[in-house]
Amino acid sequence: MKYKLLLFLTVILTYYEGYAQTRGKGLEEKVQQLTDLTVKKSIVSLNLNKFKEYVKSPPRDYSFIIMFTAMAPARRCAICQHVYDEYLIVANSFRFSPAYNNKLFFGIVDFDEGSDIFQMLRLNTAPVIMHFPAKGKPKPADSMDFERSGIHAEAIAKWIQDRTDVQIRVFRPPNYSGAVAFSMLFILVAGFLYLRRNNLEFLYNKQMWAVCAVFFCFAFVSGQMWNHIRGPPFFHRTKNGPVYINGGSHGQFVLESYIVAVLNGAVVVGMILMIEAAGGVKNTEVVRSQAEGKRRRFQSVVGLVLVCVFFSLLLSVFRAKTQGYPYSFLFK
Amino acid sequence: MTQTTTARQGNGSDKGIFSNTAGFSTLITVTVLSLAWLAGFASRLFAVIRFESIIHEFDPWFNYRSTAYMVEHGFYNFLNWFDERAWYPLGRIVGGTVYPGLMITSGTIHWILHTLNIPIHIRDICVFLAPVFSGLTAIATYLLTSELWSRGAGLFAACFIAIVPGYSSRSVAGSYDNEGIAIFALQFTYYLWLKSLKNGSVFWSICTALSYFYMVSAWGGYVFIINLIPLHVFLLLIMGRFSQRLFVSYTVFYIVGLLMSMQIPFVGFQPIRTSEHMAASGVFALLMAIGALKYLHSLNPKGQWKQLLILGGLAAAGAVFLVVVLLTYAGVIAPWSGRFYSLWDTTYAKIHIPIIASVSEHQPTTWSSFFFDLHVLVCTFPVGLWYCIKNINDERVFVALYALSAVYFAGVMVRLMLTLTPVVCVLAGIAFSILCDQVLREEELPTQQDETEESKSLYDKAGKLKKRTHEQPAPVDPGLGMNVRSVTLILIMILLMLFSVHCTWATSNAYSSPSIVLASYGNDGSRKILDDFREAYGWLSQNTAEDARVMSWWDYGYQIAGMGNRTTLVDNNTWNNSHIALVGKAMASNESAAYDIMTMLDVDYVLVIFGGAIGYSGDDINKFIWMVRIAEGEHPKDIHEADYFTERGEYRVDSEASKTMLNCLMYKLSYYRYDSGGSPPGYDRTRGALPGNRGFKLTYLEEAYTTEHWLVRIYRVKKPDEFNRPRLPLAKRTVPTSNTISKKHALGGGPMTTKRRKGMLKNKPTIVKGKKAVKLE
Repeated sequence: MKYKLLLFLTVILTYYEGYAQTRGKGLEEKVQQLTDLTVKKSIVSLNLNKFKEYVKSPPRDYSFIIMFTAMAPARRCAICQHVYDEYLIVANSFRFSPAYNNKLFFGIVDFDEGSDIFQMLRLNTAPVIMHFPAKGKPKPADSMDFERSGIHAEAIAKWIQDRTDVQIRVFRPPNYSGAVAFSMLFILVAGFLYLRRNNLEFLYNKQMWAVCAVFFCFAFVSGQMWNHIRGPPFFHRTKNGPVYINGGSHGQFVLESYIVAVLNGAVVVGMILMIEAAGGVKNTEVVRSQAEGKRRRFQSVVGLVLVCVFFSLLLSVFRAKTQGYPYSFLFK
Repeated sequence: MTQTTTARQGNGSDKGIFSNTAGFSTLITVTVLSLAWLAGFASRLFAVIRFESIIHEFDPWFNYRSTAYMVEHGFYNFLNWFDERAWYPLGRIVGGTVYPGLMITSGTIHWILHTLNIPIHIRDICVFLAPVFSGLTAIATYLLTSELWSRGAGLFAACFIAIVPGYSSRSVAGSYDNEGIAIFALQFTYYLWLKSLKNGSVFWSICTALSYFYMVSAWGGYVFIINLIPLHVFLLLIMGRFSQRLFVSYTVFYIVGLLMSMQIPFVGFQPIRTSEHMAASGVFALLMAIGALKYLHSLNPKGQWKQLLILGGLAAAGAVFLVVVLLTYAGVIAPWSGRFYSLWDTTYAKIHIPIIASVSEHQPTTWSSFFFDLHVLVCTFPVGLWYCIKNINDERVFVALYALSAVYFAGVMVRLMLTLTPVVCVLAGIAFSILCDQVLREEELPTQQDETEESKSLYDKAGKLKKRTHEQPAPVDPGLGMNVRSVTLILIMILLMLFSVHCTWATSNAYSSPSIVLASYGNDGSRKILDDFREAYGWLSQNTAEDARVMSWWDYGYQIAGMGNRTTLVDNNTWNNSHIALVGKAMASNESAAYDIMTMLDVDYVLVIFGGAIGYSGDDINKFIWMVRIAEGEHPKDIHEADYFTERGEYRVDSEASKTMLNCLMYKLSYYRYDSGGSPPGYDRTRGALPGNRGFKLTYLEEAYTTEHWLVRIYRVKKPDEFNRPRLPLAKRTVPTSNTISKKHALGGGPMTTKRRKGMLKNKPTIVKGKKAVKLE
């Protein structure tokens, strides 16, 4: 009786084990294959068969992040390349991070290789990054929204953490281009100085330094730093034609800031013309002939007109942007 | 004080007031400066005239509170003040975490006036301190510009800075903040620095260091000085302008200034331990090295000294740089702090420090804010810069550096417009002065000529009369002619007039709102005062327990402490990010989760600002997304920013808003029982939407007070025994004789009541848990 029971148990156990093995074989095999694939390349590129085998068919205990894209130059998808670069950074960061495991894989489907998959998932845009969870079907939140979060690797990693609870610390390959450019510039300047070591007069050229300083001021006063940080559009296209000036005082377009810089510059040039016409700072006694007087008078008038017109233009642009601003000069 | 300072200026050439033009010029200087002071003072009084003599905004309330404390308890008690009313339960060591210059300044004025038996309340001193100091700033700017260019330019600059909106934005009456006195200290330090550089005297260097000490005690912006002056010295060294004057003035200033700045408790050992101050010590070492080389050179003037000097200087610079880098790596010197680092890497704060990025003052500057704050100066100051560089000398190197660095910082952060404004005034003053000088000087030439040509017999008399004008030897037509000059003059007048009306308009409309009292204007121009903030804080101080803890977003911490006199959890001194994140998490969680946090923090009252009824856009719902972001930074597991947006990524409050948004504490506290605000009752006028979740009940909180225009809403947090009590019919409420324990058993028995009595689990955790476990098995 005792032995019978034992035998029975053994039989049952073996049976179950075998069953589990046959069932698990698919899974283990798949995971093993995927792991092998990721060793070579951290992003698995998928076609229809592979997609069905690894992503669609049920025995699965891993999540799959897949980017659907159209990388072929003929498709003219400029953003795809950017998104791919960032996506690759995330995949590599995961692949070489200590938290690497076989519960999460990265894949890519190119439209030209797997257009059937696009049809199957009813996708008609690219690029799309989707998450296929280990259990169940993808929900709407499982496709990443580039418009809201942006395409940076950090944003992708954060979204993946949201969906899968796998935390990926994005490790960007250090960007040497800035350092290289900087050192190139340095070497160029140093080399230039060395070549002209016998004639360094130009360094004492105050005019050049003054121009540089004044241009630096124009750049910042016209809000180039705002442009750099916020990245506004160059100008706005509407149905009634292009709009160059942003209507609100809290925003601006790139072109608008250039216009303002030019207006500022014109006022400054006008003022300097006026001062120079009147004799300059040192008031050196230049040869004062009749013709010279005429020329200086003309120069002064030009400066005057420049200051008047361009300052009024600046004021009216400002007035257009600021609601309820009461003052204007020459132009409304 | 103005009179004496300026009189001393003119004294040199002032022998007899009527025989000498210097007498007139002193008179004019004094008159113009006094008028500038008066105009600056008067133009800052809009808020006092429209509302009342009241402290504005947020930070001034803390400054006022600590000044009042200092006046009441004395200076040493103030230095040792531990404020347990802030950052509950942590508290705050006020004496060691504050720049005391502002409090000491107004405390001193208060003490002097009271010694003279002038009984004035400390609040009035605080309210009018900044406008008074604007006059001193004008004088300091005058002195600085006179050092740089001429006294005429100085007068222009003084008049500009007295009224320019970029400065009056921080110094209107009632805005009792560090910047109000710090800009004076900044300008005065720079003036003394240029003076000491010119003279190379120890006396002026010590004065510079003293003024720098005052600046350190007044404002964190002193870092600007301690980096700009070394940069100036460094550039002078590169330009080969080393001199004994430079050596003396910088070394004396650096040593004395360093020692004195370390006397401020808040600064402490930072000047020798942090990267922000390392430029100064590096330049000091470099200057010493070059001074030594120069000395060796003077011992033996022959030989290959020039190359040795250059090489030695380069080697010394490299060595100093390497030492600083190594010490930073070794951890002896702290690296750049986030606030400063974000000035260089402009995207740094946005990614890593949301609490800095959330403040609107820390945003980059658009061109229209430049124009708004500086008007005509913004397009004339490059002219001054141009001529300063074209006619360079030691001092003008400084002003060029000042302008370029300040314009960079102002571009990165709106707030730093304040440091740009003085230098813009100086340079624009120079530009206008040059132009006026030219136009007015030559005005007298043609008349002189006409007379000389027409009547030679009158030459002697006319010549005597015209003696004080510049005599031009050239008889031929020299200049521009009368018409051009008059038109130019008229144009300058028009520009300056436009500038002054713009300044008045901007100060009046944009910068003179106390922001704790709001005004709205009806269609007929009638004014309505909305005094909801003070109503609410008054209610708090009258109707709550003395030690009640009030939770609100950090913006209102100083006001609650200052006006309501109640304990707050977080306030505008945002030193503890995780504490703020905890409050943000409470606001962003649903009611029950928030209740756990609130009981953990012992919160008695919750205060929210809700502007939906009157269309006030600066309310908590609009700031809410920053609370979520800051909370997510510390608690990424519990709070997800995306949950508060709709599927399409919009931030909404109406019926399409996300579920998390509609159920979070902030939303519920804002819209609880809300039925005002427009045609469909309950319409939110700020967001222009009908709230999506209405008619809900609150479980863990109850409404305590709502102000007249719904602007401030105060809720009381219920005690654990006040909510989720089982509702008993009246008949059953009187149980005559029973053992309480057995009753509880009876009530807690059924599964229904267990659920309903969930909140009571805390009292009897073991009993209920045990029962459940048994049932499951």
